[in-house]
This record gives sequence, C-alpha cells and structure tokens, in this order.
Amino acid sequence: MSFKFRKIAVLFTVAVLVLMSAATAQPSKAQDNSGFKLADRIAQKVKSGQKLTFRVSYHDVSNEFAPEIKAGVEQAAKAFNVDVTLVGPVGAKAEDQVAELEILIANNVDGLAVSSVSTDALAPVLNKALAAGIPVVTFNTDNPSSKRLGFVGQDLIESGRAAGKLMGDTLGGKGSVIITTLDASAQWSLDREKGAREALAKFPDIKIVTTVNTGTEPQAIYAAIENAMLANPTVTGIVSLECCSTPAAGEFVKRNNLTGKVKIVGFDLLPTTLQLVKDGVIEKTIGQGPQKQGYGAVQLLVDAVNGRAVKGIDTGAEVVDKSNVDAKLQPATPAATMSATMVATMAATASK
Amino acid sequence: MTTQATTPLTENVTALLRPNRVRRLFAAREAGVLVALLLMCLYLSFASPVFLSVNNLLNIGRQVSLIGIMAVGMTFILITGEVDLSVGSTYALAGLISGMSIIGGWDLIPAIVLGLVIGGAVGFLNGLLSTYGRLPSFITTLGMLSVARGVALLITNGQPVTVDARFGARPAVLEQFFFIGQGRLFDVIPMQLVFFIAVAVLGWFLLSFTVFGFRVYAVGGSAKAARVSGINVRNTKVIAFILVGVLAGLSGILSLAFLPSGQAGRTGLGLELDVIAATIVGGTALSGGEGTIPGTVLGVLIIGVLRNGLVLLNISPFWQTAIIGAVIILAVGIDKWTRSR
Repeated sequence: MSFKFRKIAVLFTVAVLVLMSAATAQPSKAQDNSGFKLADRIAQKVKSGQKLTFRVSYHDVSNEFAPEIKAGVEQAAKAFNVDVTLVGPVGAKAEDQVAELEILIANNVDGLAVSSVSTDALAPVLNKALAAGIPVVTFNTDNPSSKRLGFVGQDLIESGRAAGKLMGDTLGGKGSVIITTLDASAQWSLDREKGAREALAKFPDIKIVTTVNTGTEPQAIYAAIENAMLANPTVTGIVSLECCSTPAAGEFVKRNNLTGKVKIVGFDLLPTTLQLVKDGVIEKTIGQGPQKQGYGAVQLLVDAVNGRAVKGIDTGAEVVDKSNVDAKLQPATPAATMSATMVATMAATASK
Repeated sequence: MTTQATTPLTENVTALLRPNRVRRLFAAREAGVLVALLLMCLYLSFASPVFLSVNNLLNIGRQVSLIGIMAVGMTFILITGEVDLSVGSTYALAGLISGMSIIGGWDLIPAIVLGLVIGGAVGFLNGLLSTYGRLPSFITTLGMLSVARGVALLITNGQPVTVDARFGARPAVLEQFFFIGQGRLFDVIPMQLVFFIAVAVLGWFLLSFTVFGFRVYAVGGSAKAARVSGINVRNTKVIAFILVGVLAGLSGILSLAFLPSGQAGRTGLGLELDVIAATIVGGTALSGGEGTIPGTVLGVLIIGVLRNGLVLLNISPFWQTAIIGAVIILAVGIDKWTRSR
C-alpha cells in the first residue's frame, strides 16, 4: 500500500513539474502578428490548386448559435471550394478545445478559425499553430492575447456599450438597473459587461444594482432573475448580456405584469426573444449575425493562404425593436420541425 | 445503518416492521434537518423583509419543484444502494421530445406519455445494465448522462425547441400544456408545486407503506439478506431506475411547459448533482439502506431556501456558489457526527 502511495506521489510530483515547466514556457502575450510565415506545404497546395482543409472551432457546438454558424461555414465552403467543417467542444470546455486543436495541428490542417472558450487558455495553442505556419483567425469571441491574423465578429465591448446606451436612453436617463448574464466569468460576458457599465456610467441618475450570474440551465436562469427582482423591487431596467437570459427576463416581466414598468434590453434574436419584442415586453435586442461570422471566418482564411492582407470583419450590432421585428420573425427553423416530424413518425410506426 | 448488513435477517425484518421504532428512527433523522431549515427561515425572516411574503414562499416552492420531483426518485435509487447520474440528461431528452411532439401537432396526453415513456426507457436501460449487466450504476449512468444528452442534441440538431403556435403547435393544446407548467391551482398554488406535492405524497406512500418500499430498504440494507429472504434484488432495482427515469421525464416536461423554449445543450445541464445533493442533505445515505421521502423534501427545501435567501441578501454570486457547497457538507456532517455517538 505504502509503495503504491509513493508511486502515486512520485507520479504526481512529476506531473506538477511538467505542468509548471509548460506554463513557464508559454510564449509571451505579444500582440505582434507580422511575423507569420505560411508553411511551404500549404503554399504549394494553393499553387497546385489542391483543395484546402480548414477547421472552424467554435467554443460550444451544443449551444443555439452553433447551427447558424455552421450554416455560414457551409455556405463559405461551397463559395470558396474548400473542405471545412465546424468542430469544437460540447459545453464550453477549454481543455477539450485545446486538445482538439492540438490534434488538428498535428494532422497538418491548412487553416484554423477559432472562437475561444477562454482567451488565456487558448492563446498558446493558437500561437503554436501560427508558429507551424498554419494561418489562424478568430471569430465570434476574439483572442487578443494570441497573434491571430484577424477577427470576424462583434466588438464585444462595443456591443456592451451599445446595450448600455440603449438602456440609458430607454429609461430616459433615470432608474435602477440589474445586469444579467449566464456566465459572469466568461470572456465575452466580461467584455460586454465592461462596455455596458461604461455606457451606463454616463447617465448619472442610473444606478446599477447588481450583476446576476444566472447559470446556463433555463430553470435556473428564470429562478435567478425572479429572486433578484424580488430582492430589488425598485429595479426599472434589466440589461441582459446574452441570448438566453434575455427571453427569461422577458417571460418574468410579462408574467408579473411589469411590462412597461421594467424595461429590458438584451442580446440575440432567438424566436422567443423576437416574440417578446413584438409583444412589447422586450424594448430592444441586439443581433450579431452568427451566420455572417461563420462565413467570414472561412473568408479570412482564404485571404490568408492566398497571401492577401487579412482584414478583420465587424459583423456589427444590429438593433431589433418593435419597428423592425416583423422582418425577423421567420417560420420555424427547418431542422427542429423535421425532427419533430421524425419523432411523430417514429412513434406512429412504434404504435402500429 | 451499516450494521444492518451483519445483523440476522429476522431481526432486520422485525426492526423494520416494528412501527414505533420505525417512527422514532425517522423522526430523529428528520428532526435535525427540520431544525436547520427552521433556523434558516427564522434568520431570513429577520434579515430580509420580503422573505416571508406569500409571493416569495410560493416562488421557493415552485423553484424547488422540478429538482424535488427528481429527488423523490433519487431517494429510492440511493436507498437501493445505486445512483443515477443521468437524470439531468433524461430530463432534457424527455422534455424536448414531448415539446417537439406538441410542435408536431400532437395532443397533450400522448405527448406527455411519450416523454414519460422515454424517461422510463432510459431508466430501464440504466437498471438493466446496472443489475443484469453487472456494471456499477455509477458507470452506467455516467455513460447514459452523455448518451442521452447526445441523442437530445442529435434529434434537435442543436436548435432551440420553442413550443409555440408559430411552429405548428395547436393553440388548444398549448393552452393545456402551459397550464401544467405555468398555471396556478385555485389561482394561488403554482402547478409545478402541485405536481411536486403529489409526487412526494405518492413516493412517501410507496416507500413507507408498500411491499415494494419494504423491498427497496431491504435491498439497500443488505442485498444478500434480501436475496435469501426471496426478494428479487435485481428487479427491485430495475423498477427503482424506471421510477427515477419517469420522474426525470416528468420534470423535463414541466420545465418546458414553464419556459416554452428549451435547448439540448443547456436544458437540465448539471441537475443530477443538485438532485443528489438535496437528497443527501435530507438524510439519505449514499451507501444505501436509509432515507425517507419527508427527509428528502426537507433537503430540497433547505437548498431552495438557501439559494433564495442568498439572493435576497444580495450576496455576490461567487460567494453563493461557495456557501451552497459548504452548507451541503455541513448538513451531512452534522447528521453523521451527531449520529455516530
């Protein structure tokens, strides 16, 4: 037994030492992206007109944006005639994303577009790819700590500022506000919160009461908002920083007959969010064009391998309110309906 | 109650059957949890002006209901000495499938039955693999946690499932569906809470007053003794797994009826640990053989009141996470330390 323990202790010490040396060996956070040199094998492939292999790594392929980003990626694959698929972890796990990228680099992928789970955790592996001559761009969530060649997406701090300003204007410069986010410690959330707080600070009569960290589970999101609103009955505005606490805040306000008394400014264009905008419960919501982000990520990689200058693309912060919501309210996304029919057929066959 | 394993079966059985002793035993175990809950409520009623409001108390009741329904099932599983880590994923799978059937134009009852059957089927599979398949339930259900979530992602293609007339649901069905999730009985009691109370009462009856309940305790106390006395240990466990699966399905359906939009990557994510924590805080032993439904209800309430109270007191979300964990350890610790004397 004691022998086993000693063995484990030795292994553990070795592991710690390896980790420590790996940590110290991390490249510095220099933001210099001028030194990139395309690998010869990729340059030759481009020259001979061979089909290139790109991978687009999204920080959580199981969330509601993944299908939209995937659609953009597939559109670009056709347009530019490249072999490209959407990859990434299920559930935003940095370790899984790093491991997958390492495998892709070892397998000589010709280009990577990455939306990072965590800036600092992902930067070393992005730099490793660049050092191997593989072009790397970022999309959706930027990674400014890395030497990535360019970024496609929304400027997150800027979009946070936009949300803060919209709330300030909606409230007429007076009131008290809570900020809701499903992951207060995530990079995108920190960025948007920073922007929102900056913009709201310009309204001296608006007080930010608290930031509510709702968690990602739908019931938990609703319960967190419910508890926070009960604890702070004077709140007149809710700024939601993402897709999913936006409709939950809307449902809360609608069900408690607070429409008009508590104003909501949120993000993204989920079906429930759009319906709540139409019903006048949510004042404004900010879209970020996920499909454009998927398309743009591939476009930047094509530019990079062809030696063209890689210019970032700002997919903007499209504000949707009652005046333009009708155009956004589309029928069901095809996939979900098809699956519903699938289940129906499955059950029908089973019952026969 | 680990001593049960070594005591002769006859003594075991008589001990379980002697009503006075049973009552005393249960009362003692739940008393500690009840005192803890009352102390918390007392403190919060002074610390926060809204805590004791009817609105807030009903909110707490509703907020704990879905976890509570699953915790009732989990009590059975833990008493048999097994564990089910897949409830969060089963919740998502069953709920989303029911929702998709409603979007597909189904009536309410068939859609709900389909979801419950899916939940039961997942439980059946868990049970089969954990008994006849001779795999530890920790492994089986850990695997099922991933499998069920993967299937949910596959059939929804990662898209949010929004139960709405715009997507094909029939308005009349929608109205019924939303009533079971959002409605209030007599315009006061949230329907989710009504379901929780019903499930808790039925579960309590099943566990404390039926042959099946007796077998569940016997199997968890000592599987060998139970087998010798002619109890089919495996089937008892399989039924307990089906039960928890069906209840996870029911919670998932109610969840989608409350918030009409679910998403396979997020719905029910991580709930298994909340459910197990609440059950354990309520005095159920991870090692099997002991636990009661009233205890579980108290455990569920402790976690719910704590979560609500921390927000009412405006405590930072990061502190909240740490405090909830500490309370779980403390609650189980007090139970263990006081009982070993």
